[in-house]
Amino acid sequence: MRYLRLYLHFLRFSFSRAMEFRIDFFFRVVMDIIFYIVQFAFFKIIYLHTPVLGGWNQQEMTLFIATFIFVDAFHMTVFANNTWWFPISINRGDLDYYLTRPVSSFFFLGFKEFAANSMINLILAFVLICYFLVNFTHMYELIKLPLFFILLINGAFLYFMTFLIFLMAIFWTHSPRGFADVFYSAEKVLHRPDGIFKGYFRRFFLHILPFSLMASYPVRYLLESNSNYVLVETLLTSAAIYFLVFLIWKRGLRNYSSASS
Amino acid sequence: MKNWSVQVFFMELRQLITYRADFWINFFGQTFISLTIAYFLWDSIFLSAQTKVMNGFTIQGMIFYYLCVPLIFRVQQGQGIGFISREIYDGGLNKYLLYPIDIFKYKTATYLANATFFLLQLFFLILVYNIFFYDPNVYSFSLLAGIKFLILLVIASLSFFYLFLCCELMAFWFDNIWSLGVILRFITSFFGGALIPLAFFPNWAQEILRLTPFPYLIDFPMKALLNQLDTHQFLINTTISIIWMIMFRFLALSIWKRGQYAYTGVGI
Repeated sequence: MRYLRLYLHFLRFSFSRAMEFRIDFFFRVVMDIIFYIVQFAFFKIIYLHTPVLGGWNQQEMTLFIATFIFVDAFHMTVFANNTWWFPISINRGDLDYYLTRPVSSFFFLGFKEFAANSMINLILAFVLICYFLVNFTHMYELIKLPLFFILLINGAFLYFMTFLIFLMAIFWTHSPRGFADVFYSAEKVLHRPDGIFKGYFRRFFLHILPFSLMASYPVRYLLESNSNYVLVETLLTSAAIYFLVFLIWKRGLRNYSSASS
Repeated sequence: MKNWSVQVFFMELRQLITYRADFWINFFGQTFISLTIAYFLWDSIFLSAQTKVMNGFTIQGMIFYYLCVPLIFRVQQGQGIGFISREIYDGGLNKYLLYPIDIFKYKTATYLANATFFLLQLFFLILVYNIFFYDPNVYSFSLLAGIKFLILLVIASLSFFYLFLCCELMAFWFDNIWSLGVILRFITSFFGGALIPLAFFPNWAQEILRLTPFPYLIDFPMKALLNQLDTHQFLINTTISIIWMIMFRFLALSIWKRGQYAYTGVGI
């Protein structure tokens, strides 16, 4: 309850800050709309040359695109600013401030910044996904929808946690952004259907760097009839990743040497 | 004092390789993952289309394309978003206005250092490819093609630098232009051919794109490397690239001149 109250304060601050930068608010909306258009155009061009990609036809792919756009928008709104400040706070020694507060320092560092200026895009992404679901001509069970959206929110959370693993390397390397560049290359897996990956790589992108679990698997859950395996794999992998983040964070804190790091 | 811009160039280069472990892990990690994703995507496309050649590309050709293109794109990105807008926001620009140095020269030197850093990585990858995986069916390597590629890449990088500068200098008037830089990246990567080769675009789209600066940033330098440009095509493309570069430079300088009057120097 205390954390919920604290988070509501974070939200209030974020909204009042976002209102100060109105042009940025506008640019962000335009930026994300262009990102969405580019993603749709990319797959549209691919489908000019092939009828199926990773086992999905164009309509299924459209739903998948809307899905990863939603995951991306959720991450941009709730977590992205925190991942930006995360390494800066550690390298500058700002973490000291959070460590001395009677609240979890991880909660402070991971959830303090809410990007109110990305909120419009999250709503837009939600509308987009609903539109494609309503106009979807294939059969799917309506009862699966609530869990589908829970899987998407879990996907965004999983994305954030995976990113933290790459960023927390700075506890040891003391570099400006850790292994963020590798992460930015790897996150493109999220924008590709899991069906294109084969063998060990498929396993790797499902369970080690679980980008395929974030958007592809929720779509599978919705479209396939026997899709309980999606729930089991998502649950187990998510738990493993969250535990790993917790473990690295604990070890990282032991290595943290305040402003000198 | 005469060579201060050269010193700035090398200072920036030294700074870039300060964190060596990070550098190698990021370099190999990025290359490996980008190639893996590209391989599986295009393998899947070739399989479902049941063909071995698409729009002049084999799967091996596609791998080589995606080996080079991310780095060509990074060469052009240089320092990344905020390399001048941040200084406008926090008032750091004051020092350039007070010191007897030309800010344009200073920023070009640091930008070129970053571009050179990624260019060296690109050369390293092409060298490794040529030694271990060279396949004349993918591309026929020649020194002349390499020189053509380098010339087009340098012009393209400077064009992008000035275009990027136009966005960055908007910071004189707008409170946050980070998104503007990202928009430019999305547009150049897609219409330049970094996401998908332009040969896969419909013909009408290719015709329209030829009237824009985007193909000259990635697609044409890549075509030069693949030895797909004869001397006539090379000369035409180089001329058009130079015209775009001059236009963007002129635009950036105009914005800079006007922006200085809007600059308060106190920072946000």
